[in-house]
Amino acid sequence: MIIPIPLRAVLIGASLLAISGQSGAEPGRLLASQCAQCHGTNGAGPGFDELAGKSASELYHELIEMKYRANIEGIMDRQARGYTDGQLRKIADYLSTVPGTGGD
Amino acid sequence: MNTLNRRQFLKLAGAASALAALPRGVGAATTAPRVVVVGGGFGGATVAKYLRMWGGNVQVTLVDANPNHVSCILSNLVVTGALSMSRITLGFDSLKNNHGVTVMQGRAIGIDAAGNKLTVSTSTGNKVLPYDHLVLSPGIDFVPAPGNWDANLTPHAWQAGPQTTLLKNQLAAMRSYETFVMTVPKAPYRCPPGPYERACVVADYLKRKGRTGAKVIVLDANPGITAEPVAFTNAFNVTHAGWIEYVPNATVQSVDSSKRTIVTSARTVSNAKVLNYIPNQKAGAIAAALPLNSQGFVPVNPLTYAVSGYPNIHVIGDACAVPASVGKAVPKSGHMANSEAKVCADAIVRSFTGQLPDEDIATSSACFSPITNTKASWLSTNFIYGDIVDAAGNVIGKGMNRVDIGEAPANGIDGDSYQDMFTWADSIFSDSYI
Repeated sequence: MIIPIPLRAVLIGASLLAISGQSGAEPGRLLASQCAQCHGTNGAGPGFDELAGKSASELYHELIEMKYRANIEGIMDRQARGYTDGQLRKIADYLSTVPGTGGD
Repeated sequence: MNTLNRRQFLKLAGAASALAALPRGVGAATTAPRVVVVGGGFGGATVAKYLRMWGGNVQVTLVDANPNHVSCILSNLVVTGALSMSRITLGFDSLKNNHGVTVMQGRAIGIDAAGNKLTVSTSTGNKVLPYDHLVLSPGIDFVPAPGNWDANLTPHAWQAGPQTTLLKNQLAAMRSYETFVMTVPKAPYRCPPGPYERACVVADYLKRKGRTGAKVIVLDANPGITAEPVAFTNAFNVTHAGWIEYVPNATVQSVDSSKRTIVTSARTVSNAKVLNYIPNQKAGAIAAALPLNSQGFVPVNPLTYAVSGYPNIHVIGDACAVPASVGKAVPKSGHMANSEAKVCADAIVRSFTGQLPDEDIATSSACFSPITNTKASWLSTNFIYGDIVDAAGNVIGKGMNRVDIGEAPANGIDGDSYQDMFTWADSIFSDSYI
C-alpha cells in the first residue's frame, strides 16, 4: 500500500540539503525560459529574434500587440496568447535584465 | 524494472514514503543535493542543463543507454534523404563541459524508492546511484501489435536512430506502382502531427523521384486527423492528391511483418512494399512500475511533475500524463518535454531552499512540419496552470489548462516556414543540449 505523504514534510526534509551559488528562483525566470525553445537559452540565441537585454517596455508592448492582434499572421501571434498579461510583463521584465549578445 | 517486479517496487515505495517524511540526518545538511536524470532526450537533457543553471551546487547525473541522442525532430527528413543522420544526432559533451553534468552511459534497470537509489546496468557492471530527486524522462515504449510483428522488418522509425535508417533504405528501394503503408497510432502518442508529416514527405519524395503510380496509404486508428487538420487535409486532398490515400477509424487487428500485411477494421493491405507500422504507445519501461493511468502513462503533479505518493520521483515528457481538461490534452512532443523540464527543474530547486513550487506557470509546444521539400506548416499550443474541466465544463481540479491552439493559416504554409523550421530546430537543440 502506498501512503502519500504531505508535501510540506518533504520540503522540510529536503531543505536540509545545502544549496549554494543561486538565490532561489528569480521572478519571471521560469516563465521566460519558455521562450528559449525558439529564441535560445535566456533569449540570447541561437534562434529567432534575440530577446535578451532588450527594453522591457518594448518587449511587453510587442507581446501585447501580438496577443491581441485580430488576424493571426505568424506563430508568435499564437504563442503570445498562451500567457496572461501579467505573465507577459514578468517575461519582458526578466529578459530585459539578461545580458544579450547584441544581435537582432 | 528488470531487477524489481512491480509488487516489490510498490512495497519499497511504501517504506520510502515513511522515510521521506522524517527529517534527514545532520550529516546531510552540508551535502550538495543529488539529482539523477534518466533519459537523454529533450526532456532529460533540458532538466539536467537547467538544474545546473539554476540549482547552484546541485549534482546532476544524466543516464542514457546511448552515447548520444538522435532527435525525432527533423527525422522524417532523414527518412527522405534530405538531411543526414549527423544533422539530428545530439551529443552530451556540452552538458558535461559547459554545465558540469555527469553523464553515465547505461540502462536504468531498477528504482529502490525506499533507499533513494537507482540501479544502472553499464558495460562495466551494475552501478548504484543514490539520489535526493530522481527525474525520469524515458520517452515512449511500444504496445506490441497483435499478430506477427517485428520492428526490424517493418520499422516504426518513431524512435530515431537505426530505425530511421531502416525506413529510409526501404523507401529508397521503392519503385513505381508500389505501396507504402503506414499507421497513425491511437492517441495519445508521440508527436501528434508527425505521422501526417511523414505521409506528406514520403509522398513528395515518391513524386519527385518519378515513382509513377506509387501510393502512400495512411491507416489512422483515430476518427480523423489529430493535428493541423486544415493543413494536412489540404495536403492530402490537393498538394499530394492521387499520392496519398487517407483511411480514418482503422483499428489495427493484426500485423504480419514478414508479409508486410496489415488488417484493420477499415482496410486490409497485403504485401505492401513498405509497411511503416507505428505502434500504439505507453510510458518508457523504467516508468512502467510507477502508477499508470488507463492509457499506460504516469499521472504527475503539474506543478512539480512528481508522481503521486513518490514526492521525490518525477516523470516528464512523453511518459507522463499531465492533468488537463477533457479533449485538451497536453501533447507529447520534444518541445513540450523541454517545457515541462524547466517547470520540474524550478520546482526541485525551490524544494532545496524550502520553497513551495511556483503556481504562476505556463507550458507550450510549437513546431514546424514539412509538407513538401520546400514548404512547411506550423502548429502552436499553450497551457496555463489553473482549473481544468470535464466535457460538460465542470471544474474537475487543477492542471494545465489549454488556453490556445492553432495552426498556420493557408498563406503561412510556405518556404519561409520551411526555413523557420530549421531556425526552430537549431534553437531547441541548443536550448536542450548546448
